Amino acid sequence: MKLLRRARRRTPSYGPDSTDPVLLSAVAAGETDALEILHRRHAPWLRTRLRYRCSDPDQLDAALQETFLAVWRNAGSFTPRPGDSDAGAWLWTIAIRQLISQLRKRANRWIADSTPEPYETIGDASAEDTVLLNIEHGPLGAALHELSPELRSAIQATVLDGLTVREAAEILRIPEGTVKTRVMRAKARLREALTT
Amino acid sequence: MSWHLTHDQLHQYAAHTADDVTAMSAEAHLMHCARCRDLLPADEAWLDRSWANLRDIVDRPRRGPLERLLSVLGLRENTAKLLAATPQLYRAWLTATVLVLATALTVAHELPRGSLLFSFTAPVVPLLGVALAYGRWVDPAHSLTSVTPLAGYRLLFLRTSAVLVPALTLCTAAAALMPSTSTLWEAVFWLLPALAMVAGCLSLSRWMPLSLAGGLLGAGWLLTVGVLGIAEELDPLLLFSPTAQSGWAAALTLLAGAILLRMRTV
Repeated sequence: MKLLRRARRRTPSYGPDSTDPVLLSAVAAGETDALEILHRRHAPWLRTRLRYRCSDPDQLDAALQETFLAVWRNAGSFTPRPGDSDAGAWLWTIAIRQLISQLRKRANRWIADSTPEPYETIGDASAEDTVLLNIEHGPLGAALHELSPELRSAIQATVLDGLTVREAAEILRIPEGTVKTRVMRAKARLREALTT
Repeated sequence: MSWHLTHDQLHQYAAHTADDVTAMSAEAHLMHCARCRDLLPADEAWLDRSWANLRDIVDRPRRGPLERLLSVLGLRENTAKLLAATPQLYRAWLTATVLVLATALTVAHELPRGSLLFSFTAPVVPLLGVALAYGRWVDPAHSLTSVTPLAGYRLLFLRTSAVLVPALTLCTAAAALMPSTSTLWEAVFWLLPALAMVAGCLSLSRWMPLSLAGGLLGAGWLLTVGVLGIAEELDPLLLFSPTAQSGWAAALTLLAGAILLRMRTV
């Protein structure tokens, strides 16, 4: 017992300017102050971004609260990629999953929650997806403009938000097969627009 | 990062007025750019409220294994917490109980007439536990708990039962392991004196601290056993004879009745 307690007490020193991995390891050691710094740093942009996916403020706040609770419980499982001192992508992965499970709770209360998949940082994507992630003003922006809204939302959910086809189907409320065909069509259109 | 979002783009994005493509572009950028994230306008009032809600959950003390076990057994959450928070002496007493009973068992197995030791210690073990369960001198938080509405009889009985259950379980287990035990009667002969003395201790606590009452009764018990042992014609086992057992039963009924009556009237 004493050994355990001593191990818990040895937390890395951190401050409001510390990087995300340092703060996360402090959170893993049970530091609520570190969680507050993370919350202050990341909650605003996560909320803004989630608001583009869900218009109900109550569900948004619930999803965000669950996100930071998940961070509080699983902070130890965060493994930063070498050279990357930012947990933004990891947090977003958790947040969008929590939002989906909030929406699922409301839609089908009688269906038991499936076991959540482990949180993995998104970004190990195909070359095609990497190109898509570098949206800047230029040919890609213009090509996206040309896409119809439903094709764009399919691309947004699968590539930008890093969701699986099943999760994208849930958040867009369309069948999984439709998501697949839409993504394929959208990618074909984009390829066409970028190569010609 | 070769470029950053402009002030206007950030505000449009935050205000939910950006068009789809700009929003997607901003999102892809914000995911990896801490600088632009910090510049994103934030609702301070919402942020504080959100953190306050989160802190309420995060700051909740973690529940120990004993507390969780008690909740699983069907106790209410606050009762489980209260039972798990019994004085530190409780743990020492539990260790002592196990040691004493183990010694009594060894003696009973090794020496002729060794089971006598168990017979005379078993009734005192629950009593000592009860005596150490509640009161000014044994509970560091007594001055705090005594002013809560929960204090008094409810807390006293909760603590008492928290001690009695493990004590009686341990004693019964030890009795079952005795070499002389062959019938159920021989396993529980100590139970009535033990319960009667606990009830006596609780009744006496009206006039004196619980630990003093327990000490007096325990000393009285040992003294009686000693006197009976020294006296020529008497056998200490008389305390467990059928006549004595009915006496213990009568005393237990009377004392339990008195305690119940007092609980009603208070």
